[in-house]
Amino acid sequence: MADAIVRIKDLHKAFGSLEVLKGVDMDVQRGEVVVILGPSGSGKSTLLRCVNRLEEPTGGEIWFEDVQVNSPKTNINEVRERIGMVFQSFNLFPHLTAKGNVMLAQRKVMKRDKAEAERIAVEQLTRVGLADRVDYFPAQLSGGQQQRVAIARALAMDPHVMLFDEVTSALDPELVRGVLDVMKELAKAGMTMLVVTHEMGFARDVATRAVFMDGGVIVEEGSPAEVFDHPQHERTKDFLGHIS
Amino acid sequence: MGDRIVRSMRLRRAAAGALLIVLMLSVAAPALAMSTSRITIDQKTGGLQTRFTYQATADEDAGVDRIDFLFPEGFDTEDVYVELTLLDGLKRIKADYEVEILESGAVSISFDPAVPAKSNLFIEVYDVITPIAGGTYEIPVEYEAVTTDDDTETRKDPGLTVTYATPPRQEALSRWLENQSLVRSWNSVKFLNIFFKPQHIVVAFPLLFKGWLKSLSLVLLAFPISIIGGLLIAFMKMAKIAPVRWIASVYINVIRGTPLFLQIFVVFIGFRTIGIRLPDFLSAVAVLSFNSSAYLAEIFRAGIQSISRGQFEAASSLGMTYWQAMQHVIIPQTVRRVLPTMTSEFILLFKDTALLAAVGIFELMMYSQNYVARNANLTAFTVAAIYYLIITIPLINLVGRLEARLAQSEGGSSAPPKGRHKRGVLLGSGAAAPEGAPAPGLGPAVGSGPQVDFDHSAAKHESR
Repeated sequence: MADAIVRIKDLHKAFGSLEVLKGVDMDVQRGEVVVILGPSGSGKSTLLRCVNRLEEPTGGEIWFEDVQVNSPKTNINEVRERIGMVFQSFNLFPHLTAKGNVMLAQRKVMKRDKAEAERIAVEQLTRVGLADRVDYFPAQLSGGQQQRVAIARALAMDPHVMLFDEVTSALDPELVRGVLDVMKELAKAGMTMLVVTHEMGFARDVATRAVFMDGGVIVEEGSPAEVFDHPQHERTKDFLGHIS
Repeated sequence: MGDRIVRSMRLRRAAAGALLIVLMLSVAAPALAMSTSRITIDQKTGGLQTRFTYQATADEDAGVDRIDFLFPEGFDTEDVYVELTLLDGLKRIKADYEVEILESGAVSISFDPAVPAKSNLFIEVYDVITPIAGGTYEIPVEYEAVTTDDDTETRKDPGLTVTYATPPRQEALSRWLENQSLVRSWNSVKFLNIFFKPQHIVVAFPLLFKGWLKSLSLVLLAFPISIIGGLLIAFMKMAKIAPVRWIASVYINVIRGTPLFLQIFVVFIGFRTIGIRLPDFLSAVAVLSFNSSAYLAEIFRAGIQSISRGQFEAASSLGMTYWQAMQHVIIPQTVRRVLPTMTSEFILLFKDTALLAAVGIFELMMYSQNYVARNANLTAFTVAAIYYLIITIPLINLVGRLEARLAQSEGGSSAPPKGRHKRGVLLGSGAAAPEGAPAPGLGPAVGSGPQVDFDHSAAKHESR
């Protein structure tokens, strides 16, 4: 456990009277690829968003490396710098080119000089297969390309962990592949990843661990093979039966 | 009672008459000869119908039976008429005279009987049209003196001059236009004469230019202040602390809920009453800024809040602070979105400067009103309208183009950068779907539509 990069202890999150997370415990080791599955409303996205405090937990603790994320004393921006996040809706900055998107936080948050930020931007965009699209604006890119720019944008910050929140759900089926390929490459390179997804193929191939959530708690977890092929719980079976 | 008033009025009139006589006497006081006389004119510039006034005292040794005013070349005496007052000492003498306008333009006045020696003459020659070119003109005066032994001789009253300036070019032009037959027939159409009279157009244009500059400088000063004020109030309205939000709300509602006309009076009269005294121009800038800030605040707030929450989250997830996200992500996008509405607000504010005429600010409207009042012709309003339109029409066009560009860029249908190959499959930037909504294979992208949820009409306001 010494090498756990993210530790979640008894995490609770309620929106008003609606309790979305009802006590989640999870440790993520360095280099792990954890896939989080579950039906709509099970709290998986909320869990992910609590890790970098886009949602404020209402109870429990989240630790990232040696910092408690949900402590008021923590400078959350410093933590977020090291936690990359990719969203379902891409959230690229539409007024900036692909390169501009990847450069902005490098310049303003990491204070890299322009030349270095530009070099890294081009490097990361090349890594996600968009070397020829660096000067395009988001509106001129396909959804898949936009999502890959978003991944490059997060990677340029040298994150220690990457959070993927249903990153392929908003894509046309034929565009999903390119994004998943990039994520596979990333996993192969040893990146620690927390992935909320419905892509079972991806989960099976890439994940080191699968977590099934329902009703705000973790119902079942284990290796992808265990969870997918021999689910122990009725709810897991039910869910897997529905989507495959 | 009524009797007394009539009497007092009579008294006053008599006093005025006496004063006139005393004045005339004092002018001609040394009473040497006609050579001490003088000529004055009413107008200060040339090219106008004017009255010439000649004052003189007849020679001691001779009566006068004719006076000729030998107007030089260029003076138009065709339609003149003459009025004449003759005094012997303080007593008014009846004068019988005839006026003849000679071929040469000279105005000849013959007396029968002759004006007695030493009488004071006061002659007004009306409706002489002077040459446009300014300068000093000598008006030679000759008269026929009748000596006691009934001899007549022609004497001169030399060295009498009138001086006036050349009128400004536009007035000269106006006077020239006055005499053009084309202009006359144009003006014979009542509508054209009232709204498009060429003589007034040429004069009003340069005159109203000053007012136009004033209006423009008012709005050019007030608008940047309003932008700063508007941003401030917009952020106050979105503040976490409730009282700050309330202050902003009250401000916005009060300003937007009352007429600018009223606000102008509050600032110009109200402030003065409680002892705050600013120069008029500054007061005008202040009231325009107060007003526009409230409208811009709502435009900005709507603009900022129309930026999807995901933008802020993306910036935050990259470690950017609130203000970094605002400055580099939210505001630049907001500016693009609110630019058309802001431009509309600028147009409104520019037009609203006209209301300041009510409190005596000499801006475009005030100039045109004054001109109209002075000349009993509405052409100056037409000219003012043109001056307003010079600014507003291009801006109205700009708003249209900005809106089109915005719709295009947010719709994601803009062309790829120049000289590059065609873009691939294209989707708009996706709108956020509710968490976990689509199961795989349940259909295409959720966010295939453009994400333009900022309703421009919502931020616009009716004319006020």
